[in-house]
Amino acid sequence: MRKHLFKTLGILAVSAFMTWGCSSSVTTHDYSVNDLNFELVGPLFEGPNQGQYALEIDLATALGDAYEEGMTVTDAHLKGATVLAGDSLGFSQVRSFVLSFASDNSEVAMQEAAFKNPLPEGATEVALDVAPDAELGAIVAEGKLYLVLDADLAEDFYDGNRNFKLNLSLELTVKS
Amino acid sequence: MLRKISLWAMSALIAFGSLNFELQDSPGDKLLGVWEPSNGRARVKIDRIGNKYYGRIVWLIEPNDPETGLPKTDKNNPEASLKNVPLKGYRMLKDFVYNEDGTWSEGTIYDPLSGSTYNCVIKMKDKNTLDIRGYIGVQALGRTDVWKRLSVQPAKK
Repeated sequence: MRKHLFKTLGILAVSAFMTWGCSSSVTTHDYSVNDLNFELVGPLFEGPNQGQYALEIDLATALGDAYEEGMTVTDAHLKGATVLAGDSLGFSQVRSFVLSFASDNSEVAMQEAAFKNPLPEGATEVALDVAPDAELGAIVAEGKLYLVLDADLAEDFYDGNRNFKLNLSLELTVKS
Repeated sequence: MLRKISLWAMSALIAFGSLNFELQDSPGDKLLGVWEPSNGRARVKIDRIGNKYYGRIVWLIEPNDPETGLPKTDKNNPEASLKNVPLKGYRMLKDFVYNEDGTWSEGTIYDPLSGSTYNCVIKMKDKNTLDIRGYIGVQALGRTDVWKRLSVQPAKK
């Protein structure tokens, strides 16, 4: 009798787990955003100088018709990041770029996500090398995140600011 | 006319007030600046991103790798894809949150020589001196280094 009861409970537990598992689906979506402006405010010194951009990702807008109420980001990976010149100076005196993601949440650590070192000579745009292991899900799930672009300058630059633009492409894993 | 000027002055005052409010520094911003660890081999610039504090290596006593003659990279990083990231510019202090007791915690410190990351808490002994305590697990099991603030002036052209 007792053995039969355990068997029945086991079957019920497995059924409940399968029902729960089937009711929540996981899908992946591409999300791209272009022309994010990074201003490196002078005076700038030889070495690394940072610019930052506060990006807000509204999932409903990002997913469009695919969005369903209650969807949350469970994982995110950078697919591509391209830096473009934001002023007439182009990439003059820039030795390398590093792109990082950060969040205000004290539980979520900053992640380096892409870099280019050194920059190709004479480039008019620079496709960064993506770090495939960078897990950005916890940062992107916050909704508001900070993109940080570090430009390593070969010389001091006192005459104003430097500007760069960033095109970004992410793969979002979303659970409903 | 006088009434118009008064209204304009009032609007300007309100606008300035709100601007001033937005630009108000966070009490944790006293950490901002350039600091030198006790070994004098590097200088670290601390910035705020959002509401957290981060420190980048901005100067190295030995910027080039003696083996290659090229600028040093983070060759000890445990993540293979990041080993070619320049060491100068690397954020060795990350994700520090300012606390009401005057410390910055919740952050990590990275040791480029070993490629290891440790929990870390920062205390300001005085406005030009920091105690940087790196630890594993509990603070009692750690090591404290004293960092000094540098006064950075632009070099003359």
